[in-house]
Amino acid sequence: MQSRLRLCAPHFVMLLVSIALYFAASQIDTSGTNGGRRIGPDFWPKAVIIFMGALALYEVTKRVIFGSDFRAKSLTEGLTAGPAGDPPTETDGEEATIEYPRLLAAGSLLILGYVGAVNWLGFFVTTALFLFAFTWVGGFRRHGWNALISSVGAFAMVVLFMRVAYISLPLGEGPFRSLSIALLNAIGVR
Amino acid sequence: MMESFINLGGGLSAHLLPANMLAMFIGLVLGMLVAVLPGLTLVMGVVLALPFTYKMGVEPALILLTAMYVSGTYAGAITSILFRIPGEPMDVPLLWDGYAMTRRGEAAKALGWSLAGAFIGGLISAVLMVAMAKPVAHLALRFSSPEFFAIVFFGLASVVALSGGSVVNALISLCLGLFLATVGIDTIYGAERFAFGQPFLLDGVEFLLVMVGAYGIGEVLSRLNTGFKSEDSAAKGGQSRFKTALPSIREMWRIKWTFFRGTATGIVVGTVPGAGATVSAFVAYGMESQYGKNGKALGTGVPEGIVAAKSAATASVGGALVPLLAMGIPGSGATAIILAAFLLHGIQPGPQVFVNSPELVNIVFAAVFIALVGMCILGYFAIKPLCKVLDAPEAIISAFVVLFCFVGAFAARNNLSDLYVIAFFGAVGFLFEKFKFPIAPMVLGTILGPLAESNFMTTMVSFDNDWTVLFTRPISGAVMALALFGLIYPVLKALLAHMRRPPPAARAANPGLR
Repeated sequence: MQSRLRLCAPHFVMLLVSIALYFAASQIDTSGTNGGRRIGPDFWPKAVIIFMGALALYEVTKRVIFGSDFRAKSLTEGLTAGPAGDPPTETDGEEATIEYPRLLAAGSLLILGYVGAVNWLGFFVTTALFLFAFTWVGGFRRHGWNALISSVGAFAMVVLFMRVAYISLPLGEGPFRSLSIALLNAIGVR
Repeated sequence: MMESFINLGGGLSAHLLPANMLAMFIGLVLGMLVAVLPGLTLVMGVVLALPFTYKMGVEPALILLTAMYVSGTYAGAITSILFRIPGEPMDVPLLWDGYAMTRRGEAAKALGWSLAGAFIGGLISAVLMVAMAKPVAHLALRFSSPEFFAIVFFGLASVVALSGGSVVNALISLCLGLFLATVGIDTIYGAERFAFGQPFLLDGVEFLLVMVGAYGIGEVLSRLNTGFKSEDSAAKGGQSRFKTALPSIREMWRIKWTFFRGTATGIVVGTVPGAGATVSAFVAYGMESQYGKNGKALGTGVPEGIVAAKSAATASVGGALVPLLAMGIPGSGATAIILAAFLLHGIQPGPQVFVNSPELVNIVFAAVFIALVGMCILGYFAIKPLCKVLDAPEAIISAFVVLFCFVGAFAARNNLSDLYVIAFFGAVGFLFEKFKFPIAPMVLGTILGPLAESNFMTTMVSFDNDWTVLFTRPISGAVMALALFGLIYPVLKALLAHMRRPPPAARAANPGLR
């Protein structure tokens, strides 16, 4: 039973999302529908949400109550089988895909950290720190190279986006803002 | 029809402008790079390039993306044949025959066949694209909202039917995309929908953020979860193989029907929304093994296997551009992004674009021809530096992918909250990948959702809420029936197979039974 529940967890989440969205759709103002004679702005989203919820409910019911493994496959499934079975891949010979949850967590934190810090530290500093940390976390651990890639990479991106493409990127606050402005002045952006 | 080819001259001459030439060159190089790098797919590469086309004029933007699309369908062949590393899923069939030839010491010949297949398939499909697009657009001019809704519905249904994996999961993904397209202010009534008091949601969820987040950040998260590969690349060693030996005319004539089958399959499959180069390559390979004179030998290292797959993959480009330009329905992932480029510049592809902006259509047509030639030149001479790219550690490539995603998202609206939105869709993309929900239906639902809704609403208003009109008008009825068949057929097929299965007790007694 536990494995059945685990299998249907994503669909159960989608079912809950559908229910919540349906309630949100019920709040849409439909006063312009000519007394209900015309379909309103809530019709299309409600139809989509109901269909999504029905599909999720079907999957949950099928898996939890009936324990069925019935699955309609798309027309392209099985198309990739080659003349000698499945295509050879880079991971041939390995038993199963190994997961690295710590690497994923560290990488995700760095990505979120970038989003959170860029407005404060500015694009150049955040990008340099991110490049150093992400490549190091990703297993590329040659400190000199990490430092070089992060500083040259961040500088190149500043030149490419702020000097060549004229994209306005965050300058940061306080001393970081001064640093960004000095850098921009140095590369000729006024 | 002749008029279309004469107008093509205008499109070709527009490429003489320095900005357009530069866009073509950058597009060709970027397309080849993303196709070669196993960590980047062609669609992801085009998605990453899209935000930077904001600041460009519409002409160089379209040229850059079209050039990326064309060259990206070829370059993955190089690494498949030389190192057994398919840069793109469409290059997997090349492992079976291309890499087998490499192992026999015929790498240069295999690369030559691949280049010949890609060029001939691409060229024939480009000629047909020019010939077909205008008549199709003229036909589409006679359509009204029920027909347009039916065509959009067909496009969405095809993406679901061809997405790979479970049909139910693909439908849920599509519904999520259609829902996301409804966020913001409704265009007909001006009603606020799903903004939850957040000002940035009032403008709606930009499909660009969904695309870049789900494909770009999502892919990086997936790769983090499976661990980045070590720095030792398979590309090391074998440097002497970086040569291409083109086949002679006589050799090509000997397998002319293989060229024909591959190209025809690519064009036809390419026009089906959601199919694209990968499906074309696999279908053509399967057809060649079934109907080809040398079909039984496929997989042992014969040129027919390379030519069938490669000519179909490149031929799908022209096929996919026809429904995009003539009806505004993308035939593949990459054309969905070219559609986005049009939309970002305020132009809605479809029959009207042939009337209002014919010069843009001719520029896209011309870009395909020029990109094919550029692809061959780069593909012939730049193999060595392209393969060198494989030496770059995945951690570095992924770090830059994340940064490009963020800068791209920021460039679109200069809004910091978009970075959170993109990170959110990155997580959604990762979870979709992990739980085997295809991403393409969600992305296409976000792009085509507004078109589907507006045509549906217009139909309901025009025909007094009579939805049966979608089935009673001849063209919309036929297209709707075809779309529903595409959705129902896999379910019926699976149901029949499920019912024919032996009972569980028999399966337990004899594990060989399924």
